[in-house]
Amino acid sequence: MKVTFKIWRQEGPKDKGEIKTYEVDGLTEDMSFLEALDHLNELLVLKNENVIAFEYDCREGICGQCGVFINGRAHGPHDNITTCQLHMRSFNDGDTIVVEPWLAASFPVIKDLIVDRSAFDRIIEQGAFISAKTGTAAEANAILIGREVADKAMDVAACIGCGACVATCKNASASLFTAAKINHLNSLPQGKPEASKRVLEMTKQMELEGFGSCTFTGACEVECPEGISIINIAEMNARRSKAKWLS
Amino acid sequence: MFLKKSIIALTGLFLCLFLIVHLSANCILLLPETIARDLYNSYSTTLRESTIIKVIAYVLYLSIILHVFYALLITLKNRKAKPQKYVINKSNENSSWTSQNMGLIGVIILLFIIVHLANFWARIKLGIGEEVGLDAMGNKDVYEVTHTLFQNIYFVIFYTLISIPLALHLHHGLKSAFKTLGFYHKKGLTILAKIALFYAIVMGFGFGIIPFIVYFK
Ligand code: FES
Repeated sequence: MKVTFKIWRQEGPKDKGEIKTYEVDGLTEDMSFLEALDHLNELLVLKNENVIAFEYDCREGICGQCGVFINGRAHGPHDNITTCQLHMRSFNDGDTIVVEPWLAASFPVIKDLIVDRSAFDRIIEQGAFISAKTGTAAEANAILIGREVADKAMDVAACIGCGACVATCKNASASLFTAAKINHLNSLPQGKPEASKRVLEMTKQMELEGFGSCTFTGACEVECPEGISIINIAEMNARRSKAKWLS
Repeated sequence: MFLKKSIIALTGLFLCLFLIVHLSANCILLLPETIARDLYNSYSTTLRESTIIKVIAYVLYLSIILHVFYALLITLKNRKAKPQKYVINKSNENSSWTSQNMGLIGVIILLFIIVHLANFWARIKLGIGEEVGLDAMGNKDVYEVTHTLFQNIYFVIFYTLISIPLALHLHHGLKSAFKTLGFYHKKGLTILAKIALFYAIVMGFGFGIIPFIVYFK
């Protein structure tokens, strides 16, 4: 299988980037997309050229490191997957594949396809945790949680922080990410004591980081590898108003 | 940003309510001329003289101004959050064209509102431009103003075409306003989406067809 990669190359955060073209032969359909990039990098090494910098860790859709924009979509042509779950069989022989880094003012490019997503970490630091004494694990049934609540919390806890929501949003809004983190803890009894503070501080940090606001295009929930629903943003808005005006 | 968005949502919802009243009144134009003229003129006179309507009118002006002003602020901020564009972006595969272009559609509607206000509001309420005559009952003959305007095919086409962006804007706006204000009931939102679609179609069709009917009357 042979494809033409058009890949964003950028030396460093301050440098000007550009799209470079690479003809790559010898690919197979069951290679993952990241393996195809590995293959390209091996060819570049042989030619003594700079390899393409891209991020990954687990390569099985759980770490959220591998986000790139492929042919105009976050994580490539399919809905609700990560880049590492994308395979070359999703493309045809002879295709041109354009690969770009996530674009958002709050996600500056570090090098090539790697962006700095530490803005997410700083949002997390504002309250995506519970303050509890650690020690021996507590008895699992000490706090009873209804199935519905547990499922709902689990749905949003699934967020892997990949940043696709920001990348695909025309406003570079981090609302889906922040909403997932807030709704996860605020819907559980363990999260209740700090619920108001959490929602206020985390949304405040989200604004401080320079992310845009949500206009409900709905692109984020389509690109989210975990399929987190956009309704969570409405729920975050409700929780925020409640915390701000009623408590 | 949350407060600004809430203001856009609230003013938008108020404008949605206003459009229902506006369209209902426009339906008078569909009646036979003899009845329509008197009814339409006395209706608009009543509106002009009622104190409560005067207050509502100011709320309406304010709503339009705030809606536009905050939308502009938010748009500028959102642009700053996303300064660079992708070389290829297939946003049509994950979201509607309308949702991606609410600002552009909004600007088109704003331009229309300005023309529309110049056609009616400025003449009838401010007395700018050609003077409005009186009908047999001594009311300002707003019917005549409308009727004359829609004898001009260009205005008819303009008014009809504008109903398309209007419907698109209302559809996305109505759906989103509730979410912005924190309504997150899943079933409720499904129903809301249907209501928004129905509302947008009725408004778009209603405002779009009436000028034509008046033209051929
Ligand atoms: S590399 Fe971990 S999610 Fe793709």
